[in-house]
Amino acid sequence: MLGAMLMAAPLVWTLLLSLKANSELMRDSGTAFSAPYTLENYRAVLQGSSAFRWLLNSLIVSTGTMIGVLILCSLAGYGFARLEFPFRRTLFVFVLLGLAIPEQAVILPRHQLFAALHLHNSYPGLILPGLAGPFGVFFMTQYFRAIPRELDEAAMLDGASRLRIFWKVLLPLTLPAQATLGVFTFLAAWNDYWWPLISATRSERFTLTVGLASAQMNYAQTSGLGFLMAQAVFASLPILIVYLLFQKQIVRAIAGTSGR
Amino acid sequence: MASLELSNVRKAYGATPVLDDVSLTMAAREFVAFLGPSGSGKSTLLRIIAGLETADAGEVRLDGRRIDTLAPGDRGVAMVFQHYALYPHMSVRENMAFGLRNAGVPRQEIAARIDEAARVLEIETQLDKKPGQLSGGQRQRVAIGRAIVKQPRLFLLDEPLSNLDAALRTRTRVELAQLRQRVDAAVIMVTHDQAEAMTLADRIVVMHDRAIQQIGAPMEIYGRPANAFVARFVGSPAMTLAPVSLLADESAFAAVRLGEGARIETRVPRDGLAVGAPLELGVRPENVQVVETSGGVPEAKVELVERLGDRTFVYARLADGLSITAEDAGGSRVRIGDTIGLRIDGAAVHLFTPDGRARHAAAAAA
Amino acid sequence: MTAGRPARRLEGLAFVTPFLIVYLVILIYPLLMGFVLSFQRADLFGARTFVGIDNYARLAADPVFHQALGNTFKLTLLIVPALTVITLALALALNRPTRGAAWLRGLFFSSSVLSVTIVTLIWRFVLTPDAGLVAEILQAIGAEPIPFLSDRNLAIPALAVTTIWWSIGLPMMLFLAGLQQIPEDIYEAAALDRAGRWTRFWRITLPSLRRTVILVVMLQTAAQLQLFGQAQLLTAGGPSGASRPVVLFIYEASFVRWELGYAAAAAEILFMLVLLVTLAQYWAARPREGE
Repeated sequence: MLGAMLMAAPLVWTLLLSLKANSELMRDSGTAFSAPYTLENYRAVLQGSSAFRWLLNSLIVSTGTMIGVLILCSLAGYGFARLEFPFRRTLFVFVLLGLAIPEQAVILPRHQLFAALHLHNSYPGLILPGLAGPFGVFFMTQYFRAIPRELDEAAMLDGASRLRIFWKVLLPLTLPAQATLGVFTFLAAWNDYWWPLISATRSERFTLTVGLASAQMNYAQTSGLGFLMAQAVFASLPILIVYLLFQKQIVRAIAGTSGR
Repeated sequence: MASLELSNVRKAYGATPVLDDVSLTMAAREFVAFLGPSGSGKSTLLRIIAGLETADAGEVRLDGRRIDTLAPGDRGVAMVFQHYALYPHMSVRENMAFGLRNAGVPRQEIAARIDEAARVLEIETQLDKKPGQLSGGQRQRVAIGRAIVKQPRLFLLDEPLSNLDAALRTRTRVELAQLRQRVDAAVIMVTHDQAEAMTLADRIVVMHDRAIQQIGAPMEIYGRPANAFVARFVGSPAMTLAPVSLLADESAFAAVRLGEGARIETRVPRDGLAVGAPLELGVRPENVQVVETSGGVPEAKVELVERLGDRTFVYARLADGLSITAEDAGGSRVRIGDTIGLRIDGAAVHLFTPDGRARHAAAAAA
Repeated sequence: MTAGRPARRLEGLAFVTPFLIVYLVILIYPLLMGFVLSFQRADLFGARTFVGIDNYARLAADPVFHQALGNTFKLTLLIVPALTVITLALALALNRPTRGAAWLRGLFFSSSVLSVTIVTLIWRFVLTPDAGLVAEILQAIGAEPIPFLSDRNLAIPALAVTTIWWSIGLPMMLFLAGLQQIPEDIYEAAALDRAGRWTRFWRITLPSLRRTVILVVMLQTAAQLQLFGQAQLLTAGGPSGASRPVVLFIYEASFVRWELGYAAAAAEILFMLVLLVTLAQYWAARPREGE
């Protein structure tokens, strides 16, 4: 119980601060524990700030990354799990080795590469790095492998082409895996900090994560503590909603990682 | 006209051969069972016919057309898989329609064929359910339905009854027998269950060790097994095999001595058999009678008694350690540990030469 | 099947090629470039000269880098054991099928879905001495506010607490999943053998969770070696570098001072460390006899 309180206290504190008038907090932030409360800060967030723009950017980048990952990983997962081609095993191991590459080992040269390609401050520049992770390929390959081969064979006897087997028979069966991978990719892209920090340097391309960081750094100049906290709550809402909606997928995915 | 023709089919996985030079010709509308233990190559052969595996050499023809070069969907064959392989996300109707759509069959024709198949298989009320909502027996019918609507020239059934419980299995066996009367196509069924093969098939292809051991009608396989393997594999309880030596004699038929001394007069022609050569005698339980232990008959000690009601199987061991199975009446009083006498019906025994080939009793035997 | 024919074989390749291209261009190529870069002196204008192991030699002698390495190790050592014990205890406490437990699991996992900027924003105003929650509570009981974020001895513990609060969800879920996989009948057998609570925990639960514990410890070690955002946003590595971890060192060297070769060399060293941890995990989690 004490643990739950320790866990919840910072969240409650943030919520209380966001509901207080900035002027009152300037005097003493301890006033957050007592009325009067106001929604003024939220009105300010919805009206004046760049938070909406950042939210939109975050939505575009996260959704784009999710769709890209699902397409690339479904194709590759099917290829690795079901098809025969030269160096299949070698290539699969080569992709798995990528799991051990930490972001900081590639981020600097990647920054230069994207600069040379004029991709900074663009949506493709923010989305592409999220597509290169090998986890999704590994995940989808495992999932395709678990589907009985008899189904492919039945479809072959039913005269279906490779593409049609993939599209009509196997892909619909991977929907649970697509949901899990999709949610995880979306969360990761939404919360990514380092890459958008160095790639999106103009405010109109900030994601919510980077935008909030800049607001935080410039705290002295912003319109106050209550406003800042209202931004934080506003920014966490979409992701908390995603979490609540897809809790099942998230838990299942985690259980899957430990099962190995 | 011949339906399916296999000529000199060979297959190996790397250095491991799985099929050696297999040839077979099926008559139109014939029902053939591939019978053998696992690893005998029977499933591989079925998959080669279906196009799911490629043969290394040889040809496959169906109704005179060469099909081993065609894609599985273009061969005019339909398959019922061991685990049914129904598409879980499609309704029963969609499962049956999938192959027809791929083949470009007109919409109305598809609907008509599905309705007809559903009527025959009595699954009309299940058409809009998903496979997950069906019982094992219903899934089996859907799998069969999916094959029927394609109106194939050849049905391939891969262990079709192995996933059903005992009661359902008997019923489905009857249904399969009725089904084949209705369809105008040949049928191949792979099974390791000899009872299935014996009841359903016109001819049985016994496979073992990558090769066809014998092709024949069920009773021919049972009555005149081509070699020791077929003799042991077909029939339950299995035929007893015992080492014997050929006795010198003037008779036209071979007389042999069982290990511990009993002399058995067989009806197997003696010609070609060398005196003293090691032979094996094969005799089915129904040809070994339990009798009183009175002089002249071999004696054995009872190890297990299997009472089936109408008859009783007695598993016993001869003095020299050889196991032998005998049949007794339903009301048999034999008990474990008893010493019994056995009378072997010499007219019904088979002899096997060292290479495993069988010699059968002349004429009347079968 | 026609798998042996060239057209079919290339068809297979077509399914994996799109990913492979992205993978090669965006992950593997930068990885190799980083390696090359670590042996070069490079500036913002793209002038590159090969300098051999100069960058590595400089790192070996750089007290700032040493401090950063030390900070990273301190953070890892503070966070990983505490996080492991706390999340295991939580999982044990919350592994029951009641609504309340489900609700609490949701609460403890909820922080994990927040981004690092929101987490630091929240914690800044928990810890800051002039308006923070802790300061308010201390004042209420008549004590002096503590400057967690600007005291050189408290900055690292403050980062550790923030990180633990943020990271509690995933290991807890991993432990819960591990607990679910222990068959119930083992506990029933143990109860028949009159094993007490502690005996059951030490002799059954913990050994059954061996692989999960290894997974959690290694995942967290690898993650904390790369700790970045919290330090950059909460303390900016200060005061005077007292809480600057290696990744912040790399970030500053590359994107603030634009010493690209030098930063790349530091990144390679950290990469090797993370790789060692990953390999250690595979080694430790390999199946043993009798499993």
